[in-house]
Amino acid sequence: MLVRPRLTDYHGIALAQSDANFAIPFLDEDIPLYVDPFLLWRSPSQQDQMFHTGLINAFNHLGYLAKHGKEKEAVANLIAASECDEVGLGVSARRKGKRIGVDKAEEVISLFRRVPHYESRGFRHFEEIQFYVEGISRDRVSDIACSFLKSVLIDYTIDQCTNSDLPTQIVDVENVYDYRNNAFSTAKGVKLPTNPETASPILLVPKRWLRFIPWINYDDYFEKHCPQDDISHTPEELTHVNVLSYNRDHYGVVEDYVTYKERTAEDCKNDPLFSQIPVTSAKRKLAAIRSIQTGKDNGADKQYEDAVGSLLPSLLYPRLDFAQAQARTESGVSIRDLIFYNTRSGPFLSEIFDDYGSRQITFELKNVARVEREHIDQINRYLSLELGRFGVLVTRNPLKSAEFKRTIDLWSGQRKAIITLTDADIAQMVEVFESKQREPLDVLVKKYAEFRRACP
Amino acid sequence: MRTNEEIDALERLIVQLKGLHDEISQLAKKSPNDALNKFKLKLVNSVIASANNILPEGYLPFADFSQFIEDDMPSNSDVTLVITQYIEQVERFRSDNVTYYEYSWVYIINGKPSKISAKEATLIGATKK
Repeated sequence: MLVRPRLTDYHGIALAQSDANFAIPFLDEDIPLYVDPFLLWRSPSQQDQMFHTGLINAFNHLGYLAKHGKEKEAVANLIAASECDEVGLGVSARRKGKRIGVDKAEEVISLFRRVPHYESRGFRHFEEIQFYVEGISRDRVSDIACSFLKSVLIDYTIDQCTNSDLPTQIVDVENVYDYRNNAFSTAKGVKLPTNPETASPILLVPKRWLRFIPWINYDDYFEKHCPQDDISHTPEELTHVNVLSYNRDHYGVVEDYVTYKERTAEDCKNDPLFSQIPVTSAKRKLAAIRSIQTGKDNGADKQYEDAVGSLLPSLLYPRLDFAQAQARTESGVSIRDLIFYNTRSGPFLSEIFDDYGSRQITFELKNVARVEREHIDQINRYLSLELGRFGVLVTRNPLKSAEFKRTIDLWSGQRKAIITLTDADIAQMVEVFESKQREPLDVLVKKYAEFRRACP
Repeated sequence: MRTNEEIDALERLIVQLKGLHDEISQLAKKSPNDALNKFKLKLVNSVIASANNILPEGYLPFADFSQFIEDDMPSNSDVTLVITQYIEQVERFRSDNVTYYEYSWVYIINGKPSKISAKEATLIGATKK
């Protein structure tokens, strides 16, 4: 059983997120990023620009339909486009979203009549709908973009699966936009990866299209560009709805904002899925760790876990992808673990996978002055249950000889390896993190080499 | 020493050890606990390998050390310490193989003074001259 399983890890494909061209999807939750159509618009790649043009044409076709008496069809198409579960982006915990209702769709479609500019020329960036309709934000913009580009994403996914040897199945994909007929239909018999539990298809999304917040977004507009005084002189009346109403009658203000955002497009970059903390922060965290007392008094254990929890994922990236911090209780004792995906990059991580079956690596945090036998036993039991037979105990001081011998005995008897990282080791990791002379992971390799030398 | 080539190899070794020591001791002063990168470690190991080759038993500084192991992540100060020991022992070996003959310092080949000039002996036994 994997903790926070990803598609690649589930299928035993060793691929670090930093090496993948796409955002590796989780199987039971969404990736907290969104497709920003502006990234396609500002991309130097002509292909991306053409995808954006296709996307905008598809969206503007909704206006064309509405204008020619086919408003119901336009509304139905927009509702179909309003959710794209296959990509798994956003904050849903179950990879399942909700489509917009008829009223909301009609409100969006009405913009093609309500705002003269859109009636005559359509949208240049359809994310502008955020400025007119309540309840439309980044997740909806992202879903609409993905829905209209679903065919593109299907091709991309097939391509990436072939490159990465990701297993696929023949599935039907609903609501694929047909650019020729300007309508959604079901694509039958497509080879895509699927969710092993629900058998629903999964689409991969290029990392270069992802941002936390769209470049053109309501909050930025409201804060920096919206003429708040013109809308209301009293702050109480400066509500979201009032701003949206004002925008409908003042397209020029929105247009100015969008033009400004286009002018500063150079600053628009995709957001990484994981950002390492800078060296100065790492050193500060290390200093904090060293100053924390051992034990539980004054929440010292929590402070220690937080500091190590924010330091290690950065130190070990990109060799180990951080999965999540996990709290568990064993024999009434709360235990905090950091779980990493084993990317199997390099001989050490491959060895850990081959010899100990570790698809994920557990780091158990213990803010104690002295590790006792029971602590070793706790991690021992945990290793036997779930995560392969290799574990790391992160604690303050080196193990005493009796406890160290216990870890050796576990290796001798059950071929389980428990490595200890102390404050000194963390300090060395931070040192090489700064100097870049070696990788912080090499400290773990060193500790493992020392451990194995002590084994019979 | 037996041949001119051995003297060449020894002199090359002395220069290499000194060069490494100059570089790495500077790193060690700046950050003693930082690890030496793999590329530098490989170079250090190749020089230490030739030192182990050239030095006869009895001159090797450590009985149970032959090479740095990459996985052990030796620090700058570890490497500096070992190189310093090698420099001392190489110089002791050189000093034992030079002699003052006909008003100049020369290498001894096959127990006899050669015509190859040498620097003055600085370490005899374990004592600095």
